[in-house]
Amino acid sequence: MTSFRTFTELVLARAGALGTEDAFVFLPDDANGSVPQHLTYEQLDADARRIGAWLQERGCGGGQVLLLYPSGLEFIKAFVGCLYAGAVAVPAPLPTEQGRQFARVTGILRDAEARAVLTDAANAPEIAAWLTAENMPHVHCLATDGEAFADAADWREPDLTGENLAFLQYTSGSTSDPKGVMVSHANLLANEAAIQRSVGSDSSSRYGGWLPFYHDMGLIGHILQPLYLGGSGVLMAPVSFLKRPYRWLKMIGDYGVTIGGGPNFAYDLCLRRITDEQLATLDLSTWKAACNGAEPIRVETIRAFTERFAPAGFRPEAFFPCYGMAETTLLVSGTPRGTRPVVLGVDAEALERGELADPREDAPSRTLVSSGIVNEQDFEVRIVDPESFRERAEGQVGEIWVKGDSVASGYWKRPLTNKEIFDAAITGTDGRPDGGGWLRTGDLGVFEDGQLYVTGRLKELIIFAGRNLYPQDIERAVQLTDKAFGIGSGAVFAVETDREHLVVVQEVRPSAVTTDLRTLATGVQALIGREFNIPAGNVLLVRPGTIRKTTSGKIQRTLMRQLFLKGGITPLYEVLEPAVRALVADAVDRPADAVV
Amino acid sequence: MPVPTTGHTVESLTTWLGERIALYLKRQPAEIDPTVPLAEYGLDSVAAFSLCGDIEEDFDFILEPTAAWDYPTVQALAEHLIKEFDAAKGGAA
Repeated sequence: MTSFRTFTELVLARAGALGTEDAFVFLPDDANGSVPQHLTYEQLDADARRIGAWLQERGCGGGQVLLLYPSGLEFIKAFVGCLYAGAVAVPAPLPTEQGRQFARVTGILRDAEARAVLTDAANAPEIAAWLTAENMPHVHCLATDGEAFADAADWREPDLTGENLAFLQYTSGSTSDPKGVMVSHANLLANEAAIQRSVGSDSSSRYGGWLPFYHDMGLIGHILQPLYLGGSGVLMAPVSFLKRPYRWLKMIGDYGVTIGGGPNFAYDLCLRRITDEQLATLDLSTWKAACNGAEPIRVETIRAFTERFAPAGFRPEAFFPCYGMAETTLLVSGTPRGTRPVVLGVDAEALERGELADPREDAPSRTLVSSGIVNEQDFEVRIVDPESFRERAEGQVGEIWVKGDSVASGYWKRPLTNKEIFDAAITGTDGRPDGGGWLRTGDLGVFEDGQLYVTGRLKELIIFAGRNLYPQDIERAVQLTDKAFGIGSGAVFAVETDREHLVVVQEVRPSAVTTDLRTLATGVQALIGREFNIPAGNVLLVRPGTIRKTTSGKIQRTLMRQLFLKGGITPLYEVLEPAVRALVADAVDRPADAVV
Repeated sequence: MPVPTTGHTVESLTTWLGERIALYLKRQPAEIDPTVPLAEYGLDSVAAFSLCGDIEEDFDFILEPTAAWDYPTVQALAEHLIKEFDAAKGGAA
């Protein structure tokens, strides 16, 4: 639909055409009795020019600029300000907020080689102190809600092409080794077009959501998509939603939201926390696409949500299961509009072997939810054997490989990884590799009747409430809590019941224990809750030598997970959630070859 | 309608907290021992935010989500809340 070469050109055109119309409405947490904040296209344009001018005056026009903001309109102005400056925006979590992720953001600041940090006045003193402490005094820092820092008249439109980078998306990589996906203007325009085709959006679409602004689904799906369309978005902070999920669904009726969503857990949270009295005040009849992606999609959630919220006008065909990742800018597949989510019951044992088969009586089965279909004009998607690199047939599980204009060229400054991950080649029937250029997603999936089902992860990455967590980050943090824990001798993985559960297996040297094992385990749980904001309901303290490693010393987490599920780990001390205890007990009762 | 922050006891708040936390964690209130660390029950940040939201609704009092880690049992949280409520009352007088 667009003739724009860059997203900068597109936003300038939208601002010129839409002037005094609302681009965004932000709903602050209402605990302070605050009122909705409006940002028109005109205001967005004016502030972005000032920010762009400030960056250009400091020689940051072609460089990377870190954005550290709470959820709010200032972030959007700063992001567009970077587009206007011709700079490469680097959105990251605000490190002064809960969880205090200074270590991660320092890693991003250094890896991205940011020349400037943009923030707001409330956070600027602490951010400036952090830059000084990190010995980065040459990095410029600006509070963009301040007064008269630059004149919009000094701004010059940058000379950009589609190949120029629009932003770096740091959702990959562990804390010690963050990886930024290089999203070009051409990638961004291609994926916004793909989203529009998949979700059926247009300039009358009203987006509404609460996802973090630095998250790919929040940024590309809920902020840049309305700008792309010339539509509008209504936004709130994740904390507002998490405290009172009712506010998100109330927003949908209050503002006539048509498109918006989040990971599966968001729908579960609505089910658990919204009361009958609150339900009676909701109007969800305008909701055309309730996006569900970024973590495994559960049929129980889809069914329960559809049933519970039908009286509020929620339609079954509104659910929009979808699939994508930062490496493809955002969306790869989605459920065609006007159709209900497609589900498929399969035999669990066959699925573990990598094949789809009809469920058998008296045998465990699984119900898969389709992540929708792939539009051929946007992507080529193949299911590939991750060992032989040969393509697998329909109905066979393999790694999902993707090619298309939305696929980024790679991670910032990671040529070796990029060759492996972003330029893989499929081995043909003649044994020869094709021309390459495929993205290896690390996700396992299968096509059946044109529907893409995502069935698991090839990598040991843990996905919790839509967040990507690296086991090595958690293992390292655990091992630093007590001298009795051996460094490099723990395994962290997730197991699944009706939700994800984290399991920590850690070796302990009994002679080095100065307290008792229970205190050690409680300390581990408290640490993981505090540092990573996730529950660690399952901790097993084990004898030295229990953790399996490869000959090169790599932790075999997948093997440890299998051992755990078979009841094959004998702990010195363990604490298990009841659901996980039941899962292990069930597995022990079944023949060994049927174990996941 | 928020209830006043006065007139509560550690016991009444312990009961209220136990019921809320049982709801978030899909357990029975009787299963929640006020002296056992909440992490052992699998309390996560989503549940911690839920708790803050409910405390704001029911007591008109803003609790930082980190409180669930700083006061890691129902008992400790109840004692903390009583202290905070008293301080708020003193400040208003």
